[in-house]
Amino acid sequence: MAVWYYLSPSNLQVGYAPEQPVPYSHRLHAGELGMDCRYCHANVERSAKAMVPPTQTCMGCHAVIHPESGALQPVRDSWETGESVHWVQAHVLPDHAYFDHSAHLAAGVGCVSCHGRVDQMEVVRVEEPIAMQWCLDCHRDPAAHLRPTTEITNMEWEPDSSWDADEALARVNPPQHCSGCHR
Amino acid sequence: MSRRKPYVLPEGKGPVVWRSLEDFDAMTSDAGQADQKKRAEAELPGGFTAGLPILQASSLLKKAKPDPIAAQPRPGKVSVGRRGFLQTGALAAGALGLQGCIRRPEENILPYVQGPEYLIPGVPLHFATATSRGGDALGLLVTSHEGRPTKIEGNPQHPSSLGATDVRAQQMIWDLYDPDRSQGPARYEGDALSDVTFAELDTALRAVVAKHTADRGAGLRVLMQPTNSPTMMRVKHRFSQRYPEAKIYTYGSVSDDAMRASTRLAFGLDLAASYDVSRADVVLALDSDFLGFEPGSVRASKGFGARRTPTAPDRDHMLRLYAVEGTVSTTGAAADHRLRVPAQDCGRFLRALAAALTSVTDGLGALGDSLRVETDAHWNDFIRAVADDLAGVNGKSNRTQAGRSMVVVGPRQPPEVHALAHAINHALGAIGGPVQLYTVLDPNRTSGPGALRELAGEIDSIETLLILGGNPAYDAPADFPIATQLRREGLTTIHASTHRDETSTRSNWHIPLAHELETWGDQRAIDGSVTLQQPLIAPLFHGRSELEVLAMIAGERNWRGHALVRRTLRERSPSPVAFERRWRQSLHAGLVAGSRQSAVVPPGVESAQIAEALLAATLPDALSDSNLEVQFIADPHLHDGRFANNLWALEAADPLTKIVWDNAAIMSRKTRDALHLRNGDMVRLTRGDQSIEIPVWGLPGHADHSITLNLGWGRTEAGRYGTKQTWPGIGPEPNWDAGGFDVHPLRTTDGFGFAGGVTLTKLGSTYELIQTQTHGFMEGRPIAIDATLEEYREEPEFASYRTVEFTSGPLWEEVDYEPREVATGRMLAKWGMVIDLSACTGCGVCTAACQSENNIPSVGKQEVRRGRFMTWIRIDRYFTGTERDEPGFALQPVGCQHCEEAPCENVCPVNATAHSPEGLNDMAYNRCIGTRYCANNCPYKVRRFNYLDWHSHLDDPWGMHGSFPEIRQMMFNPNVTVRMRGVMEKCTYCVQRIQEAKISARRDQRAMADGDVVTACQSACPTSAIVFGDLNDAGSRVARAASVNRRYKLLAEVGAQPRTTYLGKIRNPNPLLTAHAGHAHSDDAHHEEAH
Repeated sequence: MAVWYYLSPSNLQVGYAPEQPVPYSHRLHAGELGMDCRYCHANVERSAKAMVPPTQTCMGCHAVIHPESGALQPVRDSWETGESVHWVQAHVLPDHAYFDHSAHLAAGVGCVSCHGRVDQMEVVRVEEPIAMQWCLDCHRDPAAHLRPTTEITNMEWEPDSSWDADEALARVNPPQHCSGCHR
Repeated sequence: MSRRKPYVLPEGKGPVVWRSLEDFDAMTSDAGQADQKKRAEAELPGGFTAGLPILQASSLLKKAKPDPIAAQPRPGKVSVGRRGFLQTGALAAGALGLQGCIRRPEENILPYVQGPEYLIPGVPLHFATATSRGGDALGLLVTSHEGRPTKIEGNPQHPSSLGATDVRAQQMIWDLYDPDRSQGPARYEGDALSDVTFAELDTALRAVVAKHTADRGAGLRVLMQPTNSPTMMRVKHRFSQRYPEAKIYTYGSVSDDAMRASTRLAFGLDLAASYDVSRADVVLALDSDFLGFEPGSVRASKGFGARRTPTAPDRDHMLRLYAVEGTVSTTGAAADHRLRVPAQDCGRFLRALAAALTSVTDGLGALGDSLRVETDAHWNDFIRAVADDLAGVNGKSNRTQAGRSMVVVGPRQPPEVHALAHAINHALGAIGGPVQLYTVLDPNRTSGPGALRELAGEIDSIETLLILGGNPAYDAPADFPIATQLRREGLTTIHASTHRDETSTRSNWHIPLAHELETWGDQRAIDGSVTLQQPLIAPLFHGRSELEVLAMIAGERNWRGHALVRRTLRERSPSPVAFERRWRQSLHAGLVAGSRQSAVVPPGVESAQIAEALLAATLPDALSDSNLEVQFIADPHLHDGRFANNLWALEAADPLTKIVWDNAAIMSRKTRDALHLRNGDMVRLTRGDQSIEIPVWGLPGHADHSITLNLGWGRTEAGRYGTKQTWPGIGPEPNWDAGGFDVHPLRTTDGFGFAGGVTLTKLGSTYELIQTQTHGFMEGRPIAIDATLEEYREEPEFASYRTVEFTSGPLWEEVDYEPREVATGRMLAKWGMVIDLSACTGCGVCTAACQSENNIPSVGKQEVRRGRFMTWIRIDRYFTGTERDEPGFALQPVGCQHCEEAPCENVCPVNATAHSPEGLNDMAYNRCIGTRYCANNCPYKVRRFNYLDWHSHLDDPWGMHGSFPEIRQMMFNPNVTVRMRGVMEKCTYCVQRIQEAKISARRDQRAMADGDVVTACQSACPTSAIVFGDLNDAGSRVARAASVNRRYKLLAEVGAQPRTTYLGKIRNPNPLLTAHAGHAHSDDAHHEEAH
């Protein structure tokens, strides 16, 4: 039993918070400054991939904000040399599972459901076990994770009286068969 | 001891179907039936009741002859049984596994530094471009994932593509990532090519330019491939201006010279013919494969598909196709009537036909005596019937209008035969109707052996020879030694090619050529439409295009392809602003607006000239066992040899022989038997003082005394996969030879298309030829169902009558697939496919498209021999009828049928294959443990197993380092899992496309529409024989097609309830000729003749 737990994603994945080449703070950008997730993850509603932004996006602000900061040296190096910043992937999905961000956003699943309170994280940390069991739990009973599509990136959204959960549930049809995710 | 009930069909229903000559013999002779019984015995020795010997691990390990004593269980001794072995093994594996798996290795994300405009990571882009097809272009739409082209489809707006492609277009993506492409320039030093830098190459080229600018090009010659590029014509012109005394020769091993010469003869103009089959009611194909593998085949097939699918009896006039040919082409196999005539006698046949036409139509009388020929006795009925049908005088004919019949002649036939066909088409009123003639880009160009011969004649007096593409050292005719002349003292030969091939290693300099998908260019379709060929990726190995090399030599200051092509278009634009707009629009649409030309309708034909040419042509001697004919055919996949290193092409089965990895001397059964040969016997073919050695293959339907030889094989320097391999067999394994046989030694200037005077000597040795067809064994059940148009009218539901209905109830609880709402505004889809056998020509493009879309590997000749080929769609070829030398043909694509009561699912111990609510038979590769129960339980034999890591298998046959050239990874479709060893796979109905369409509809907040999901095979199919969609949507194309009355399900009696529906093939034989029809109705199924 102990071995089973040790090897499960609940142990191996949750809590993974790799050190990044640039100490980028989601707490500062998304939390304190209140930037929308989609400012950087711009194509998350259009593509399967949420996309780590190109260096250009960073430089858009940091060419004038803290242009001398030592922490931003790798970003400036990237901009000058044309070499990508080597970000470390935190949420790793196996290659045979095809996850699509845009489909989930269009269905009304918020960022916070899978990624946790990113706006409070100094360093991005995996909050949920990214495993088939966990995916299926929600696909079987998505009600608790649905929200208006206008509130997708709102980390603090709570259902209020105007929220019709049944109507939201009737709009979605999360796949539970193999080819929903495996192709 | 099968418990299956014997298969009983109603008497006289359905044709006799056989897979091979052996099958035919088994059906018709006692010896054959005894042999079949023996084979069945071998499959189940002694039946199920006999005691099975218990194997011991030790006997397995020793791999020696099983010791009869050791094979018995010995009481009292500990033996490692299967169970024990597994227990120990699992423990060991578990212990090993624990060591490594703490966390997966760290993975990085490398974003762009500057995001390219329009590119969203994860969303593929599509670009319009084109590929050359001799004098034609095929418009393409290429899918690019983050700058990496992965899949090719047809451009629906392009007149030669109409949205579909041919097999070669599907396979060209492989060539782009061919690891054996030349990776840099080289110079011949010592006795080998050694790498040089581009700077060194350019210095040498500049020296050439300087030298020949001085001598006005007197010592400079260029040899290039036939081109359809307007920019290339412009650059050639510029070249001639700079070097007025230089000459440019054009040579293509597959040439359209005869066609060009014939229009000069018949109309006094250089024209190219395009066939609009949709406007024809009767077509005669003479030694032509215009539906299969000749330029323009996609467009012709589109018309064919539209005219061969009667949706309701008596409503549509169905096209009738006659074929007269020596070889068996896909066109011939699709024909309603086929006459076997050796290629050399096709001209005589056409004259006899023209003579017969003079009595029923006007306009051929002027040919007079030139039509007087002797005919073979068995031609007469055929000629009479075809002549009447073409002229429309047949009382029973459907046809009412004139100008709806035509004759199509293949490129191998001499100019006078083509010219006679023009005269016939003119007399029939076909020109301007089904036959469309267009002006050509480069009039008075010859590209046949004549040009090469002229070059060979003066090669001793020139100083520099620039060879742009092509491989003359391999494919030049045998009667002049150009290969040995290339590295003469004092001659500098510069060869530009994609690979360092036979010609490169005989040249002084080698320039790496870029792939068509890497370079700028422009290509003109037969009707004049110009497509800008835009690169999908920067040249992977810094290669240059032919255009760029010639422009550089011609002294263009900016010789980069982009500038050259822009200049061509700018010269034709009124203003710079108009040009920029036009440039962008043209790139986007894949067509330069307004470039299409109207067809030329010549006022008349030059009958006197044609008659003169016909009279001047000598008729060849009659063929016999000692005077055989050879026909040279461009290989369906390797073409002239340029695709010889393409793994997909090497393993694509020939459409009719189904042979993979080799070519052979294809001959008729009668000729084979008369010469006392068996399939695979090595023979020597001798013509004059030249000879080749090649194995024999008998193909029903081939003309007697004629031998088909495919070009493009037997390359000696093609690359790691295509180079002819010899490897002695190990133990019981037969030898591993593969790669075919070079037939060029028999090919000469005067016998370029076909040649008589060939003798055959049996060598005594054999060669293992591998074919895919006889792998699946359908046990005589009706699989490919066909009927004549008349039978269809009498009995519209013939197809379902000929299958046996499933009667017992289902084993499992039935699933409800009825239309219902599954989410607000979203209906439950019921995915299904319809394959119309009436339209299908069996060309194999679906198989190739599927291979490209779904990351399907090639496994190698030895593994195909073991029945392990991986293509998800196989094309079954059946011979029909009771006459073994005059068979009909039935070709049938078979992929996973997505059964509602799928037999495979019930036997999977790990639930790796399961059903989706929409009726897809899903495969979860990561669950599969490789028991192969599913494949054994599949009645259709469509599951494929990864016995080994197939992708790396050919590079690493012993599994030592487990990798394959990194560049080949770039061709993978990122949306489809690359399967590893030990996993079962099969057709998924392109589930990745279904999911993408569903997500896309969800994203856009709309309901799915018919046509949102197009499978790879459906999109590529040139006859539109494959339709896919939602059967629950009553208005969808697929739902309508699935309710057509000639529908049937494959093996309906097993009760698997497949989602794929087939539509029975309808043949349209001429009632006057039914005795010749492929689908014969003779009752004596045991018709026999001496052999």
